[in-house]
Amino acid sequence: MHEQAFRFGGARHLVGVVGLPALIDQGVGVIFLNAGMVYRVGPFRLHVELARRLNALGYPTLRFDLSTIGDSGASGQRLSRPEQVVADVRDAMELLKQQSGCTRFVLFGLCSGAQNAHSTAFADARVAGAFFLDGYGHRTLGQRVRHYLPRLLSLSVWRQRLMRRRAAAAPRPAEPAFVVEPLPPKIVRAQLADMLQRGLKLDFIYSGGVARYFNHIRQFRECFGRLADDPGVSVNYFKQADHTYVLSGDRQQLLEHVAQWMGRHFPITRPGT
Amino acid sequence: MKARIEAELPFYFGPGRELFGFYHPAAGMRAAVLLCPPFGVEQIRCHRLYRQLAHGLAEAGFPVLRFDYFGTGDSAGESNAFEWTRCLADVVTAATELRMRHGGGRVLAFGARLGANAALAAAQAARLDGVVAWDVITDGAALVRQYDHMQETLKVDLNRFEYARPELDVSTQWPGFETSDRLRVQLQDLRLLDPGIASAWLASSVPDEPSKLDERYAGKCERVDVSPRWEEVDSLELAILSHPLLDAAKRHLKEMA
Repeated sequence: MHEQAFRFGGARHLVGVVGLPALIDQGVGVIFLNAGMVYRVGPFRLHVELARRLNALGYPTLRFDLSTIGDSGASGQRLSRPEQVVADVRDAMELLKQQSGCTRFVLFGLCSGAQNAHSTAFADARVAGAFFLDGYGHRTLGQRVRHYLPRLLSLSVWRQRLMRRRAAAAPRPAEPAFVVEPLPPKIVRAQLADMLQRGLKLDFIYSGGVARYFNHIRQFRECFGRLADDPGVSVNYFKQADHTYVLSGDRQQLLEHVAQWMGRHFPITRPGT
Repeated sequence: MKARIEAELPFYFGPGRELFGFYHPAAGMRAAVLLCPPFGVEQIRCHRLYRQLAHGLAEAGFPVLRFDYFGTGDSAGESNAFEWTRCLADVVTAATELRMRHGGGRVLAFGARLGANAALAAAQAARLDGVVAWDVITDGAALVRQYDHMQETLKVDLNRFEYARPELDVSTQWPGFETSDRLRVQLQDLRLLDPGIASAWLASSVPDEPSKLDERYAGKCERVDVSPRWEEVDSLELAILSHPLLDAAKRHLKEMA
């Protein structure tokens, strides 16, 4: 494994770390996008662990900070935030291409990172695949039934709610939030259909931490209909995990899944192997 | 401003280029400042704050080096490889790197939580001329208890998980990270010793158990209006941002320079 830190981008405003495998087969490179406001190492260092795992398997990687997040500055360009995100990821693809020779890319994004991965995958033909973790999806009738019914009937949930109410000494202060308005479901569906038609491989991973809007693997079909049948789509529901994979065992399961998915859809093809 | 940010350099350094660093050059010839990060999830929560502090200090004429210990952040090593002896050695390596880039002269340090302990403990070997400590750990055993308690609370937290997992063995983890028996033992024995150099003490408005200062330091300590809520599992993903803290840290470092 070899890692190198870079300042890059049109205005040299972006900061990232490229990880290269011992042998590069110029297949695809994997780029990690910020999960919300967490800087490039990812929640609990998820991106570092995953990047190194992929490097060991033969994939070049880049984990970087989008404009104004983590160590990256502002670009100075007059772009909307969604336009800036796409421009930043394009700069990232250019850097990874220069460093590894790869010309196609897989994006990895959790939460707002999934939204940003979606926007870039739709906009740029060099994106060959994407991991969308707790990305697009919307509440359905089935989701509401599955979410509320057990809670109404669960004694422990009521007990915990009562305990929390008693323990709450003071209201929690407002927490800093960074929210990008999600696209309407109809547009998401149309854009996904376009990506799949172009041959992209898309992995939708949902965690138990977003049960407020997604709580069963079947729900993907409720949200996106026939797209669920496309061979380019895979859907996974890690019910036991939380949104940021805080427990090491859950994180390892995710790492294992990503490694296998990459091997299935973008196998390393070194001469002689 | 733009030119200054462009001059800031991310790089790897130290033996085997295992440590990640971020150098913020400054035009002035004042003392240089080494920023020693806290450990684990606290390091990620403080990342933005450290960056802001580095910018503020560089603007005031202090060259600054931020860095990650082995097994943390962008540095080499798995998370469970972080341990105290190596951590102190990394402070020395980073101070040497800063001196080399700065061209010699006085080196001060700022550290939060265990970062403060690391700077204080390595001060002599790293030839530091002063340390500003924020919420320094005064009772290592209390910190170990706090991390253990947070980890046990996490796995049954229905605000985080769809269902509780009380049976899960999480004894080798502290919030968000794998840890090791070695680090556990090292932290159990951690006490705050007289650093023997210039030092300033900052404390959050409501200090947690591991960072309560005893009477030796309480009189010298400055309370800062910041509530990092180190011990709360609801805060694990919340960045800590505080202008009062940045102002206090800069003021003390300027006084020491």
